[in-house]
Amino acid sequence: MFHPTRHRHSIHCILPPYLARSIAQNGSSEQRERALRTLSTDSTFRALRLAGSRTTPSTLVTRPRAMMVESALHRTIYDLRNSEAFPGTPVRFEGQAATEDIAVTEAYDGLGDTFNFFWEIFGRNSIDGDGMPLQAFVHYGKNYDNAFWDGRRMVFGDGDGDLFNRFTICPDIIAHELAHGVTEDEGPLWYFRQAGALNESMSDVFGSLVRQMKLQQKADAADWLIGKGLFTGNVEGVALRSMKNPGTAFDDDVLGKDPQPGHMKDYVRTWEDNGGVHINSGIPNRAFYLVASQLGGYAWERAGRIWYDAIRDSHIKPDMGFLDFARITMMSAMRLYGAGEEADAVRDAWEQVGIRVPKPGIGIPSFVGAVTRPSTQAGRAPRA
Amino acid sequence: MRIEIKREGGPAYFPGLARPRAVDLTSLPPEQAEALRHSVQAARFFELPPVVGTPAPGAADARRFTLTVEEEGRRHTVQFIEPVEEPRLHDLLEQVTKAERAQRRGARPGTPG
Repeated sequence: MFHPTRHRHSIHCILPPYLARSIAQNGSSEQRERALRTLSTDSTFRALRLAGSRTTPSTLVTRPRAMMVESALHRTIYDLRNSEAFPGTPVRFEGQAATEDIAVTEAYDGLGDTFNFFWEIFGRNSIDGDGMPLQAFVHYGKNYDNAFWDGRRMVFGDGDGDLFNRFTICPDIIAHELAHGVTEDEGPLWYFRQAGALNESMSDVFGSLVRQMKLQQKADAADWLIGKGLFTGNVEGVALRSMKNPGTAFDDDVLGKDPQPGHMKDYVRTWEDNGGVHINSGIPNRAFYLVASQLGGYAWERAGRIWYDAIRDSHIKPDMGFLDFARITMMSAMRLYGAGEEADAVRDAWEQVGIRVPKPGIGIPSFVGAVTRPSTQAGRAPRA
Repeated sequence: MRIEIKREGGPAYFPGLARPRAVDLTSLPPEQAEALRHSVQAARFFELPPVVGTPAPGAADARRFTLTVEEEGRRHTVQFIEPVEEPRLHDLLEQVTKAERAQRRGARPGTPG
């Protein structure tokens, strides 16, 4: 429905120039609609969150903030040449051509894939939402078996070649690590017990979605594996984790068997692994997979948006458990899509992993449901 | 000297790496075994506190190693949280993980050590 004569609603004026250009040049009408819908809902919920849960939507003022600025991807890749002494040598700046070093290329591309995912799908400008430049350091240490985000930069080891390949090999691992930065900025969620498992799960969710978007896979076509290709041929296993079937990713003489549960009845109480953060994350991981499969299509479109909206909700507490988070995803689904198949899918998914979320209406603040459904906004979106 | 290592953290939880595993010094080439013994001495292992290092704020997926060394009736356990920057402690961890890898390769049929 087009209303070319009516003044544009302020919410539609915040389209970033970068995206506006890109859409004008390359976008189909469907893409234009989708982009506008995404951006308008994003600013709505950012504003909701800033305003606090007691404010009614009618009094909302759209806060342009980062949305007004041009998104800019600023990547720098450094080569540590098997030392652990930062900063090493810068070997590729934003916009420069690829070098012969595959680790540099993969790190550069992985940062780009992750940045583009958060920008294009959620309108988030980098890890901190404020255009943070992205730095990655490759060839960290000797035979170093890890990749990590240290709060401000990405660091990649080459792997020992015996159990692990180079850690730049999986775009979902790169995205997983960067997503820890997003969770830290939005949550935070303490890295301990259920809150820590939720923190890990958020990273797996976004890690998997970045890979699915890169491959343009719908939920039923995706493998839902995290870290596929990281193991060498010496390891009996396909990946680090399976979101679809937690506990089935590896079973190896040296590494042991994938310890992830996919249901609360198998929840692992332990002091190891910060209280099981990489173990019990299988439960919320599977819940997300179930929501995405139930809704079908591209998982980032509705399931991903519900989860992203949840992590940015003002009700997030640093020490929250699975049930609290499940409630917040329900609230997000209701807020974004109203009572319908999305909220039903979320409730069913949590129930299938052993977490019962109360019926909508119970314990859900009054603003829920009062917001215009994004789909109706989208119908008005492409005016101009 | 008897050394045990367990490893947690990193990108996933691996039960096989998280349980304590002995590093058999007699299975190592003599120079490597000697280098490992030397690292334990140089790190003044028996004088170290039970936990070394603190994870950076906002850091996830940091690795931690728990080493136990037994020698001449003494036994001491230290947990190292990365990043471990002190050069002698860093060297100790590198020597132990290298020995562990060599041991693993040696145990694998058909793989040259």
